[in-house]
Amino acid sequence: MWTDQVTTAVQQILLGIIGLSSGVAVAGGLFSFIVELGVIADFADRTHTGDQILFYEDCVALGGMLGNLFFLFRPALSALFPIQTVLLVIFGLFAGVFTGCWAMGLAEILNVFPVFMRRTRIVRYITVLVVCTALGKGLGAWLFFYRGW
Amino acid sequence: MTRRDNLTLYMKGDRDVEVKKQNVTLGDILSMECTDKNILATVKSMTVLKIRSQKHQRYVISVLRIIQFIHEKYPDLTIENLGETDIIITYETQKTPAAAWHIVKIIFVAVVTFCGAAFSIMAFNNDVDVTRLFGQIYEQITGQESSGYTILEISYSLGIIAGILIFFNHFGRKRFTVDPTPMEIQMRLYENDIQTTLVENSARKGEELDVDGSGNNSGPADPAGNHRS
Repeated sequence: MWTDQVTTAVQQILLGIIGLSSGVAVAGGLFSFIVELGVIADFADRTHTGDQILFYEDCVALGGMLGNLFFLFRPALSALFPIQTVLLVIFGLFAGVFTGCWAMGLAEILNVFPVFMRRTRIVRYITVLVVCTALGKGLGAWLFFYRGW
Repeated sequence: MTRRDNLTLYMKGDRDVEVKKQNVTLGDILSMECTDKNILATVKSMTVLKIRSQKHQRYVISVLRIIQFIHEKYPDLTIENLGETDIIITYETQKTPAAAWHIVKIIFVAVVTFCGAAFSIMAFNNDVDVTRLFGQIYEQITGQESSGYTILEISYSLGIIAGILIFFNHFGRKRFTVDPTPMEIQMRLYENDIQTTLVENSARKGEELDVDGSGNNSGPADPAGNHRS
């Protein structure tokens, strides 16, 4: 009986260590991915609010922490969170904006556009390409949800 | 003019200068040093650029053009440039944008980054199926079925919090070390990229204010790829 308790304690500690270190590793990886793509620096620059960059970092940090808590403890939290449509619309809209910028940020870092334009020797009507990419992504996302893929 | 040989004027400029008046003097865009204080004062007050239109504008000026300009007045002066070779002059009209609009923009970015980060972490957890993985790890170690709310989930959440704080190096105004935060670095890199692009665009279009009119920095980097077979 006594050994059983020790075993359980050791197991719990081991699990705790695994969880803690995987959390730190995931946070480091995911958030450097978010920041290094430069999406948020882009937002700050575009809106001329570069002085608020520390505040934006706080928002990212808070979003990451709360989002993770929500994901893992969803059923337990749903009693606390009477999720209303308004809240969902807001979250969906802004998460969509972010994801869209993120996807294009990734394309930018990987030099997708310059490479293609150079290979195909397209120098004009680049705006058309940008609009088409945006429409294509929007249509793709809609199709994905509409068909329930 | 008296003999002024052996006189050297040192100048240093930033790559991006914001001006608020329409008559841009050399002193506005460069910091300078010369042993002859009279020359220094005159050169500093020389008008290098007259901005005609009132609206927000941007010019790129080559340091060669500035040197030529000073040489027109002081042909014997030796000029040493210690700063950038191309200077971006941005003319900003003095109007301050409405504070309310500024706050709206800040809130917009804040909400986007918050929702985006929350969505990203959830998408990641979903993508790698953290719930199932934790169940498997739990079963592997304890031999029992996971309830879904074990120490793994709790410690993982704590780990996420710790990892984010370590990575961003601050929370609120409290910094953990004196290093700049990753976002500040990213912001500066982004500004640098923009400045480089502005200078090169303007040189390529021949709009840069330079000594021989066209761009002087079309070096080995051939934009059209003509060096290929």
